Amino acid sequence: MPTLHLVALGLYGLAAALALAPFAGLPSLSRRWSVALPGAGALAHGVALAQLNPAGLAPILSLLALFLIVLQLCCELLLRATAVALFTAPLAAGLVGLALLLGLAPGVEVSAGRNVWSVLHVTLSVLAIALLALAFVSAALYLLQFRELKTKRFGQVFQLFPPLERLDRLNYGALAIAFPALTVGLLFGVGVRFAAGVAVAPAQLVWGSFTWVVLGWAVWARVVRGWAGRRAAFVSIAGFAAVVLVYLALKLVEPGRERFL
Amino acid sequence: MSIAVLGVNHRTAPLEVRERFAHAAHEVPSALERVLRAGAGGSVLLSTCNRTEFYLAQPRGTVAEAVWELLSERLGAGRAAQEYGYVQRDREAVRHLYRVSAGLDSMILGESQIQGQVREAWQVSRAQAGPVLHRLFQSALLVGARVRGETSLGVGNASAPSAAVALAEKIFGTLAGRTALILGAGDMAELAAGCLAGEGVQVALVASRTYERARVIAERLGGHAMTLEEAWDHFATADIVLCSTAAPHAVVTWERVAPAIRRRGGRPLCLLDLAVPRDVEPAVGQLENVFLYDIDDLQAVAAQAAAQRRGEIPAAERIVSEEVERFWGWYDGLGVVPVIRAFRDRLDDLRRTELERALRRLDHLSPEDRAQVDQFSQALLNKFLHEPTVVLKRAARVGHGYGLLEALKKLFGLETGAGK
Repeated sequence: MPTLHLVALGLYGLAAALALAPFAGLPSLSRRWSVALPGAGALAHGVALAQLNPAGLAPILSLLALFLIVLQLCCELLLRATAVALFTAPLAAGLVGLALLLGLAPGVEVSAGRNVWSVLHVTLSVLAIALLALAFVSAALYLLQFRELKTKRFGQVFQLFPPLERLDRLNYGALAIAFPALTVGLLFGVGVRFAAGVAVAPAQLVWGSFTWVVLGWAVWARVVRGWAGRRAAFVSIAGFAAVVLVYLALKLVEPGRERFL
Repeated sequence: MSIAVLGVNHRTAPLEVRERFAHAAHEVPSALERVLRAGAGGSVLLSTCNRTEFYLAQPRGTVAEAVWELLSERLGAGRAAQEYGYVQRDREAVRHLYRVSAGLDSMILGESQIQGQVREAWQVSRAQAGPVLHRLFQSALLVGARVRGETSLGVGNASAPSAAVALAEKIFGTLAGRTALILGAGDMAELAAGCLAGEGVQVALVASRTYERARVIAERLGGHAMTLEEAWDHFATADIVLCSTAAPHAVVTWERVAPAIRRRGGRPLCLLDLAVPRDVEPAVGQLENVFLYDIDDLQAVAAQAAAQRRGEIPAAERIVSEEVERFWGWYDGLGVVPVIRAFRDRLDDLRRTELERALRRLDHLSPEDRAQVDQFSQALLNKFLHEPTVVLKRAARVGHGYGLLEALKKLFGLETGAGK
């Protein structure tokens, strides 16, 4: 299992290095490689994760990394948004590396059993976090491209980053899918609590609720209020940053590598 | 110096300066008359958004000063146009025009629009051009066509409007289904509207003075036309606004469009100003979600596309060099006939004078003998003249006769009445 994770780490690392290459004056990655490298990594990663119980900090970080790479591949194949890999590939490589450092042994949540409720709760919730991260990435790319276009620089960012409206649509789509995924994921979490009788830590409850509120606020701003462009990008960045900061704060309050929270 | 070009272009002068030098078609004849009065056999003014160049045939006296003075007046505030200008003479002037016509000297390498602008300049200046510049501009158009036909210099998006389309795509991604307002109904506006319609954009042409032409173009492209007064409200809904009017001042001002732009709800607006002088007040670009680009900005975008065309430059330059030699051959040939005639006349005069003087001393000769002596002198003169004449004609054919002709004129005092 660590071997396949190491393979995935290597391939993600390579994909990240090649995505960043044009900014170091090197030739840009051909589209074939920008699909093949993370694709091969995701395959090895998926095989490795299938043999793991999705419980505990390390497996969940690894799952989050896999979702990020899968979303990156979707962006590449559906939207030709190669630049997403600038953020997602290093982030996924970092998460896999961290998971390997922490050790991929299942955490205490394994006692909840490998029941359907638990798997669905974890999978949908982590997918929602990955989508929130993607919304953050697309928002960051949007702001960088916006600045490039507004200041008329026409450099590497202008060349390599997708068009503004495509990034805006990507942000909208990521948030619009993340919110129902998290909502259903949390409902499955309630199922885990009552069906399997697993106790829920207060930190988990706080973070889950906070993330749901933040995501809900972002979706409300975009869908109901019709915010778009720069304002929507700032909302996504602020929301993602708040979710990460609250997680880190709660992790400080309740430390331990055996639980995700 | 027999052909010269004096001017400024996008490499030597910023847009703020170039737009002051831009001449509308109706201003060209008076400017050229003024230049001709200062001393030139012919003149053509090529004025585009990227260059203002006076082509001069047989420039003499203070004509260069007159051109700089004319341009400096447009700069105002005691500024000198020479600071931004350049001068090319003879072969280099011909080469310059050929490179301009081929798109080698364009802001966007290989762009084809310049070909039409060179043709228009020639047509507008026809009355003042004179035979040499007439021939020069005709050949320049052929050189441009040859370069585009024999190389890939013109392949891809290289004109200003197509670079503008590429820029809009960086904001919107695909342009299909977008709406565009085109301010102006000139050639550039028509070209831009065609480019956008080709991408699936719904175009609306805006014109007041040339409304009928705008309507015809719009109908052909499946769009519609409107007047300027009707257009301001459309700034709230249009995705792209492309400006290419011939107005001498900014048409799109902050006061006129800011209220409409505020109603856009954060949607981006791509404002492409291809006009010189600029149509859009720079302050409009400061509005949130408005992306304003002028002709100089397009240069930066197109420079990236041009990099792919750079491989074609050597082939294009070879064609230009060949054609420069061909033109210069014709031009030298144009000068060689009157000079040779003058040369022969001068030597024949000498022969006759000396023959008469000699025959006066030889009055014992019979008429037959006198005729023999006359024939002898003519044959001798022909023998002397044969080699120089052949060499001059041969040098002229290959375009190297100019120096020899100048030398001959100086050596034998043929300055007056001979030459081009």
